[in-house]
Amino acid sequence: MNRIGDNATVTAGLSLKRVHKSFGSIEVLKDINLNIKGGEFVVFVGPSGCGKSTLLRLIAGLEEVTAGEIIISGRDVTDTDPSRRGIAMVFQSYALYPHMSVAENMGFSLKVARRPKDELRRKVEKAAGTLRLTDYLDRRPGQLSGGQRQRVAIGRAIVRDPDVFLFDEPLSNLDAELRVEMRIEIARLHRELGNTMVYVTHDQTEAMTLADKIVVLRAGRIEQVGTREELYDDPDNIFVAGFIGSPKMNFFSARLDGGEIEIGGHRLPGPAVKTLSKGEITLGVRPEHLRLAEKGEPFFPFRVKFAEFLGGATYLYGDVGDGALCTIASDRKTQAKAGTELRVMADPKFMTAFDDKGVRVR
Amino acid sequence: MTATTIVGQDAAAPPRGGGRIKYHRWIFHIAAALVAILFLAPIFWVVAAGFRLPSEALQPLPPWPTEGFSFDSYVRLENYGQSILHYTMNSAIVSVGTALLTIGVAVPAGYSFSRYHFPLKGLVFVLILSTIMIPFQSILTPLFLLLAKMGLQNTLLGLILIYTTLQLPFSVFMMRNAFDAVPKEIEEAARIDGVKGIRMLVQVMGRLVLPGIVTVGLFAFLNAWNEFLAALVLLTDQDKFTLPVLMTAVRYGRYGSVDWGAVQAGVTIMMIPCLILFLILQRSYIRGLTAGAVK
Ligand SMILES: Nc1ncnc2c1ncn2[C@@H]1O[C@H](COP(=O)(O)OP(=O)(O)O)[C@@H](O)[C@H]1O
Ligand SMILES: [Mg+2]
Repeated sequence: MNRIGDNATVTAGLSLKRVHKSFGSIEVLKDINLNIKGGEFVVFVGPSGCGKSTLLRLIAGLEEVTAGEIIISGRDVTDTDPSRRGIAMVFQSYALYPHMSVAENMGFSLKVARRPKDELRRKVEKAAGTLRLTDYLDRRPGQLSGGQRQRVAIGRAIVRDPDVFLFDEPLSNLDAELRVEMRIEIARLHRELGNTMVYVTHDQTEAMTLADKIVVLRAGRIEQVGTREELYDDPDNIFVAGFIGSPKMNFFSARLDGGEIEIGGHRLPGPAVKTLSKGEITLGVRPEHLRLAEKGEPFFPFRVKFAEFLGGATYLYGDVGDGALCTIASDRKTQAKAGTELRVMADPKFMTAFDDKGVRVR
Repeated sequence: MTATTIVGQDAAAPPRGGGRIKYHRWIFHIAAALVAILFLAPIFWVVAAGFRLPSEALQPLPPWPTEGFSFDSYVRLENYGQSILHYTMNSAIVSVGTALLTIGVAVPAGYSFSRYHFPLKGLVFVLILSTIMIPFQSILTPLFLLLAKMGLQNTLLGLILIYTTLQLPFSVFMMRNAFDAVPKEIEEAARIDGVKGIRMLVQVMGRLVLPGIVTVGLFAFLNAWNEFLAALVLLTDQDKFTLPVLMTAVRYGRYGSVDWGAVQAGVTIMMIPCLILFLILQRSYIRGLTAGAVK
């Protein structure tokens, strides 16, 4: 009866139910609820110290939950040993066994489980092939580059053949070029293996490029869960709006009045807000949605401080009438000298409004 | 840049630089040789003095053979009490026992101090360390009484227990540092790979702190091998003597003279195991002392 009634857990690769975690008196995670479908690539993203790693370690079983349940593949694993949860973890610091060769590192879990030698060799060789590590199987981790070490760590996870892969900022120790390369590699692995993957990062670019589903965390709470499009186009609050997207969304204090808004004494058509008709709001507009106003169109002034030419686009940095900082992403033809005042505006459908607590008003 | 300035620099720089380096190198070599002689001379004297003729052996000076070469000192040493092999075995039992017991206690203790949280952990650790500051001579009498109560006076086991006790503070400190230097993630990766309990300590952690274990074991061995005072106080039965105590016993030659030859022969024999151990283990040992410093 339980199994039939509890449909969500059967199909979900991973569920967290009312999970809390405290270290002593400090509550690090507060009431985390999350359902992850089998095969999904989920990214936990948030600023440093928000509890991403702690949440991942709870799933892995390296920390015990203070309250709540963790369900993996329909099985309650809240009190299960890490090795029996059907997970594998890739650490930021690689955490390879320095005294073992690459092959021994990758096969260690099977050796501990006393699996037959030929099964061990077969699985290690297969994983090494997938990760292009075949030529390095006899080396020690100390003789490998950072990227190779990280691939060994991933190989060690693959050999365990887990239901859920857990990655804790696996790329942050690599240099920029290698990071992009490994990001593509991890995306390819997900396509090939089809396992559920949970990936922690503080880098929203990584989150946007890898995730089927993004979970934005702040100060131990989930701020929003959704696809990248949902988070980018339809953020629930000012934190998510500011965190997702690069360059950042612009925020102005504005007054909502009927269908119009007032910014620094200039009135222009405002966003469609049903729940509020009049009052102070914070208006959010993404840099690429700001454009120069045509003759006769309503506008607000923007004073250019400096311009960045990036080849494909030009970023203009400056401030608006009341001093709020503002960025405009424009096409490459745009040129503006520092000190020039431009007349800019945005289409009302690209405007998002937030109340004084930072919650989206729709 | 013009050609003339380059030529000018070239002409001036090399001889001056080369000269300075040569000069420094000479000073370095002379200083190093002096220091080496300072350290090696006593060892040379000891070894040489063991090979003097019996007629010279009772004189303190000169500490090398002048009239001929003889193994007689070694024969006299061998003929004292039981054979020298017997006393060497006593020393070996005590030293190896001390090293093993020290490792056996210090490794789990260091692991606990490094990885577990328990009440008063900091205080307990400082307390253990602070016992290094107590001169052990001052607690020798109570230690002796304690062992006597346990019926362990005049036994090698009693000596092992004393040496291990004295060796532990430093060893626990060393092992804690060694475990601290191992990243927590490696242990967590092993937990996920299914490693638990004693297997973690042996298969994963033990291998990573091996240099620390070697250092701790070597120190325990050497200190026990060379220790004199406690052995002298505790051991009264001539059969149980360790080598340092034996050395004082063979000193007294006939007619109240000092048998320098036999003492030096014994010291020479005592040095050999230390040298061998040190040479075999020196790589791990040096890594152990600097572990954590370069990671
Ligand atoms: N073992 C621990 N003991 C006490 N506090 C901890 C422990 N681990 C993490 N924390 C605290 O929990 C918070 C979240 O940490 P973490 O999950 O590592 O953040 P993130 O990975 O998002 O940067 C931080 O404030 C951190 O100080
Ligand atoms: Mg983290």
